Amino acid sequence: MRSQYFIPILIFFPLLLIQTTIMPFIQISGVVPDLILILLVFYSINNNQIYGTVLGFIFGFLFDIIAGILLGSGMISKTIAGFTAGYFSSETKRDVYLRSFSFSLIVLLCSFIDSILYSFFSASISAADISTNLILLFFEQGMLPGFYTAIISLIIVFFSPRRGLK
Amino acid sequence: MLRTVSKLWDSFKEYIILIILILTGLVFLSLNYTPAVKNLKAVAFGSFAAVTSLVSDAVNITKLKSENEKLRRQNAELMLQVNLLRYYGITNHELKDMLGYKDTVKYPLIPAHVVSKSLTASQSSLTLNVGISDSVKPGMPVVNGEGLIGIVHSVSENYSIVRTLKNRDLNITVKNERSRADAILKWNGEDLVLVDVPKTYDIEPGDRIITSDLSSIVAVPIGVGVVTQLSKVETGIFNEVKIKPFVDFIRVEHVFVLGIVESKQKNNLELNFYRMNR
Repeated sequence: MRSQYFIPILIFFPLLLIQTTIMPFIQISGVVPDLILILLVFYSINNNQIYGTVLGFIFGFLFDIIAGILLGSGMISKTIAGFTAGYFSSETKRDVYLRSFSFSLIVLLCSFIDSILYSFFSASISAADISTNLILLFFEQGMLPGFYTAIISLIIVFFSPRRGLK
Repeated sequence: MLRTVSKLWDSFKEYIILIILILTGLVFLSLNYTPAVKNLKAVAFGSFAAVTSLVSDAVNITKLKSENEKLRRQNAELMLQVNLLRYYGITNHELKDMLGYKDTVKYPLIPAHVVSKSLTASQSSLTLNVGISDSVKPGMPVVNGEGLIGIVHSVSENYSIVRTLKNRDLNITVKNERSRADAILKWNGEDLVLVDVPKTYDIEPGDRIITSDLSSIVAVPIGVGVVTQLSKVETGIFNEVKIKPFVDFIRVEHVFVLGIVESKQKNNLELNFYRMNR
């Protein structure tokens, strides 16, 4: 197995440190951008769909046990987010996706899926209460974190090696 | 046969792996309350929190100057308030003595610092830099000067995780300070609400909500929030009451763990939500 496959797992830990200590300072109404998801989308596009799926599972597992939250909810949501991001990993369009605003749109899509699934699993398993308005769930727990994460992901687009925006 | 399986694998391997991993995730979801998973979480968050606390300290140093200014002002205001409360305390003590009350309650406070926050819409939690070595135990309430923050959920040697009130897993019995009506407080993912409150209950916007002595989790009176809105349900016999918490969970940094866990005797008598979910 190639050693570069493990690089995102090494990056995960300092990023999680930033996620839990610095990111709360830039929250807006309790919504914080998900740096882990940006990392997941980046490496999923860079490699392939299977890699993205497995990486999402590993990230979700590590996040769940380190944050001390419901184990499994992050695993499932990040796995599906990684799987979705992996769709965009075709050889011919990889560069286009990674170095254009398309990257932020993919992050938006994956973050939306991740947030919705995470909320759904943590809500339904822990409290057996899905009385929350579905439209509210869609916007507040899906779209808002998605938009914020997508905006932050623009940094990747601007600072990617080739800099040029296609 | 082997060729068919191989063909299937080649065509659908992405989906097969996805399904296997999702099923594994579901299995983990069902194992959440087993001792092995609890121990694994305690070791993982304990180790990571040690690193997090270093970063958190470094970040906080930059904020110390403005915070000192704010604290000095707050200190002066509190000094005036303490003098007033001391006077009330003496009067109260005298009156209680007269009525034959025996005030034996002393709550030990364990000072703690928030080293990391996990802010999600359904399961907000905090990591504190106190743990078993500081006599912190699961079930202890966590407070600050503003009111109740949450309950200690799990502890490692030097760190602990607190489920804040903004966590779907935490339901607490509270009461209206004015009318003394009891209700269940919970987080619905958007607001703190009192659920299943009969329409006949005497609750009005502006009423202060405190923890109830009926609670099997926090049986000492601690401020929780203030009633902001009564969502009158046209059908049925219950109202949903929205509460604005006293505590700003996003900005909370310095807290106290109240060194009490409800008595076993009482826990055994009641259907204790917390105990059931541990």
